[in-house]
Amino acid sequence: MKVIFNWLKQYVDFDWSPEELTERLTMLGLEAENVLKIGGEFEGIVVAQILTKDKVPGSDKLSVCKVNDGKGERTIICGAQNHNVGDKVPLILPNFALPLKPGEKEPFVIKERKVFGITSQGMMCSPQELGLPDKVDGLLILPKEAPIGKSFAEYLGRSGGDVVYDLEITPNRPDWNSVIGIAREIAAVTGNQLKMPEVRSQKSEVRVESLVSVRIEDAELCPRYTARVAKGVKIGPSPDWLQTTLEKVGIRSINNVVDVTNYVMLEIGQPLHAFDYHLIAKGKDGKPTIVVRRAKDGEKFKTLDNIERKLTGDMLLIADEQKGIALAGVMGGQNTEINEKTVDVLIESAYFSPTNIRRTSKALGLRSESSYRFERGADIGICDWASQRAAQLILETAGGQLADGGVDAHPKPAEPRQITLRHHKVNELLGIALKPEECEFHLGQLGLKIANRKARPVGASGPPEPVTFQIPTFRVDLKHEVDLIEEIARLHGVDKIPATPPRGAIGTNEFDAVHDQIAEARRILSGLGLNEAQGQTLIAKPEVRSQKSEEIVALANPLSSDMDVLRPSLLPGLIHSLRHNVSRKNYDVALYEIGRVFKNVAQTSPSVPIPSEGVPPGGAAGSRANPQAGNRRYIEERRVAIALTGQRTLPFWSGNERDAKFDAFDLKGLIEEFLEQFGVRGVTYGKGPESSALFLESAIIALGGKLPLGEMGQLSPVLAKKHDLRDAVFLAELSLDQLLARRNSAKAFKPLPQFPAIRRDVAMLVPEATTHDAVLQTVRKAKPANLEGVELFDVFRGKNVPAGQKSLAYAFTYRSPERTLTDAEVNAAHVRIVEAFKAQLKATVRE
Amino acid sequence: MALLDDIEPLKRAALAELKSATDLATLEQSKGVWIGPHGRFTALMKQLGTLSKEEKPAAGKAINAAKLELEAALAERRGELELAAALPKEPTDFSAPGRRRALGRLHPLTQVTEDIVRSFRKIGFVVADGPEIEDEYHCFDALNTPADHPARDTQDTFYLASTAPNASPSPGEEGRGEGGRQPQLLRTHTSSVQIRVMEKQPPPIRIIVPGRVYRRDNADATHNPTFQQIEGLYVDKNVTVGDLKGTVEFVFKELLGEETKIRFRPHYFSYTEPSFEIDFSNALVKKLGKDWLEIAGCGMVHPQVFENVGYDPEIWTGWAFGFGIERIAMIRYGINDIRLFYENDVRFLKQL
Repeated sequence: MKVIFNWLKQYVDFDWSPEELTERLTMLGLEAENVLKIGGEFEGIVVAQILTKDKVPGSDKLSVCKVNDGKGERTIICGAQNHNVGDKVPLILPNFALPLKPGEKEPFVIKERKVFGITSQGMMCSPQELGLPDKVDGLLILPKEAPIGKSFAEYLGRSGGDVVYDLEITPNRPDWNSVIGIAREIAAVTGNQLKMPEVRSQKSEVRVESLVSVRIEDAELCPRYTARVAKGVKIGPSPDWLQTTLEKVGIRSINNVVDVTNYVMLEIGQPLHAFDYHLIAKGKDGKPTIVVRRAKDGEKFKTLDNIERKLTGDMLLIADEQKGIALAGVMGGQNTEINEKTVDVLIESAYFSPTNIRRTSKALGLRSESSYRFERGADIGICDWASQRAAQLILETAGGQLADGGVDAHPKPAEPRQITLRHHKVNELLGIALKPEECEFHLGQLGLKIANRKARPVGASGPPEPVTFQIPTFRVDLKHEVDLIEEIARLHGVDKIPATPPRGAIGTNEFDAVHDQIAEARRILSGLGLNEAQGQTLIAKPEVRSQKSEEIVALANPLSSDMDVLRPSLLPGLIHSLRHNVSRKNYDVALYEIGRVFKNVAQTSPSVPIPSEGVPPGGAAGSRANPQAGNRRYIEERRVAIALTGQRTLPFWSGNERDAKFDAFDLKGLIEEFLEQFGVRGVTYGKGPESSALFLESAIIALGGKLPLGEMGQLSPVLAKKHDLRDAVFLAELSLDQLLARRNSAKAFKPLPQFPAIRRDVAMLVPEATTHDAVLQTVRKAKPANLEGVELFDVFRGKNVPAGQKSLAYAFTYRSPERTLTDAEVNAAHVRIVEAFKAQLKATVRE
Repeated sequence: MALLDDIEPLKRAALAELKSATDLATLEQSKGVWIGPHGRFTALMKQLGTLSKEEKPAAGKAINAAKLELEAALAERRGELELAAALPKEPTDFSAPGRRRALGRLHPLTQVTEDIVRSFRKIGFVVADGPEIEDEYHCFDALNTPADHPARDTQDTFYLASTAPNASPSPGEEGRGEGGRQPQLLRTHTSSVQIRVMEKQPPPIRIIVPGRVYRRDNADATHNPTFQQIEGLYVDKNVTVGDLKGTVEFVFKELLGEETKIRFRPHYFSYTEPSFEIDFSNALVKKLGKDWLEIAGCGMVHPQVFENVGYDPEIWTGWAFGFGIERIAMIRYGINDIRLFYENDVRFLKQL
């Protein structure tokens, strides 16, 4: 909503500067999105008279003059030659700028300065300096009648400086969509009177009832419709004041009658429409008849913007007995538009249901200043006043005669709304101590009237009695007691409410502990050298791989196909981030992300890895029924994912391993360390499918070989290439909700061993397919006594190792908690292992 | 007495030889010559038997003393020579860069979120959470959002495909009675969690809710369809606007510096009344050439919201506020493009 400083001043007195007004409005809840100074081109320039003229001692050309600027005398040094004592000239005062000339970037600001020891307090101007067309060699000499001290802009008949405020109007305050609405607010704060323009009823021979009748067929969508008729107007351009006012707030001037309707709408907030009276069809009674009815489904109607629109039965139409003539509250029709031949005008001022206007406007994609105001809620009480005001201004600007009275169809006027205020509630909510009189004063300033006050018995004490207020029709936002308390807070000043230090109950929520556990997971992963990433939740459907398509949660109204589904996995986002990095030559990237993924699963689906069972209270991100498809539900699951590519270590200047790239065991090592630190034990890594859309090779990470936790592996080279990823990429994703449910972070001290350990190594050749896991199982089954640990310390293929075989080297540690073991005891245990290797793994043990 | 007189010159000769040894091998050789099993002092020891009973103790004592002295000298020289041997051929250039192990960083948004959470926890708040896929009731209706409010538009809110409002009556008009067939959407604010928590817990409530929210804005320097908010809710008896101001001031001074000034401006939100917007001012804002910068919205919980969750608004009052985490991070670190947060460029992540 744009409002002009000087326009506001017509309705209320205030002595704030334009800057102060910005501040005051802001603190009332009217934030200025933009403040624009306009028309101040001759700011600081006044008409002055030369009183004396003398030569400047020591200069040939310069003269020193005393001038009268209307407020007092000034000394001016001047280089021009054409001026004489008694002449009137434009004088620019110090610290004001000359108008910008073409090509200038910075305006030239006049300063007080010393010339030949004399201080010059301003400058007398030439027409060139003012950017005026007059061709004079020297100063612009003004006519004798130019009034001394008058602003030069005013003298020229140009409008002086003004300020346009573009205010952000919150949707609850439609009354602020008008100059008077804002002036009313200023009046409330300053205590000054709101000066409403006076509307006088004019006597006329012709009664309006003889000229028009109004029939409302849908009083729900249009509870009030008023009509006035002005006869004999002359359509033409608007007077300057009207044109410039509209232009300043960005509305194009059309003609005097249309401009008046726009002006009154801006002034009081009531949208108006003017019809050419003679283009309205006559009814059976011989009078033009306004019919307010719903459009017929499919009815066609051409609006003022020359677009033919197809209407529906939900849209409200202003019609005559034959045709639609305006789309109610949204836009007028071309068939009854004011035109240069119009002589009689019908002024519509009505109230339409906000919801209906909003729907119509949305359905047609047609918004107007009028629909904007109606859909937010207009003032049903102001219809007739606005109509009178417009009629009066039309007579002033376009001449003509007003028919006597107005038709006011208002079948069921609503009772004024009343709200009761309990004074103690004000202070309880605001935390201040206002007296009842202060509260009532503030509300009174806003136009609320006391409707009812319970009288207290004489001499009784106790809390003040509740007061019932009658709410003015323009305050559609005031509905509850608390709304009145807000008004009191605003007018009292929110800044005057003292802040009280935090106090009160300590909070509880079961999620609080989960938040810390997630933070702990982050700390561990960052401690392991991974950087935390945060990806987009919305991704492109083709990026989703290894996911059943019916499980994907898609958007109904995506912004683009790049972001049309909710991520079912964190990996697409991480791959995206790797791509982003590599394309910027960050080749070495180690990232992790903790975030939610989304799935739409069958209610009974057994493949759902994350039921809420076993998850700590408040732990699982959530699963809720998807009511639209009864047998499916949405699942939100927290996950943790890791992505590695490029070099394993930071650059260094020596060593064989310095150029080593990440491999699968870097990834596995990270996962192992993370899970151990996080308190998840008994994790297995089973071979995953040979290759999938996503992975070249992968492992299923599970608890006890059964409960799946996630997957890790190497990104398929096809995908890597597609994303321009240079080096091998390793990815892992785990269900964090599952980890949270299964972790055991309890810690206990185990005494340090008191007796020495004995180590035995085994090196053996085994078939290539033999896994480390198979070796461990063989060891376990052999049940060697006192075995404390097994460590794989070498895997070798090549020289001296036959094809199809590999060499594995293990270290076995034996230790007893009770005594020092003897060699014989250890050998006896160890030989069981070696024999088991030979027998069960077909191993050739190198003795 | 000849033996006793021999000890001192022998010892001196031995000391001189040990001290002049230039490498460990020579030193060990000298050790053998003098104090080894076949060394000269061992030989002297063996000669003790030839001495008289009177001479024996003094001579024995002298030989032992000399031997101890030699062993000490030997150890000292060995230490010196070992150190010399350990010295690298070339001196170490300590100005060369070290072999670093990088600690990973927390995402800047995580850091800011954790800072905010820490501030609130100091004054008794706990963290709560809720779903990102929401229904219209929790995201809008329960928060007193009018049925035809523009926020519900498919223009501004993401709806899920199987429940698209276009496929059924438009949002807000739908009958709630039809088996709760409500459009599902991505929550547009964390305020929906207010409702979920109040539905589950009786008052008093003192929670904060960090989380992702979604608005249908095209990505640009200041918008991303996904962004993060933090919500605060406090419900108790006798909670006032003054309490709201006090807590907000405490938290923002913690976050933005002690010298930060906070201003409350009247505003409008459907779920609070009165409602305010919060501006702050500090050196950072002044550097941007502004007096105030908007940072959060807040207000006293609307009585209707309490009624919706079954709290008695005559007994309980409370306040709520919410703000964008990206905005705080952008202000704090001087970041000018919100998209940087979601690109995960490691040069960005490692900086902060």
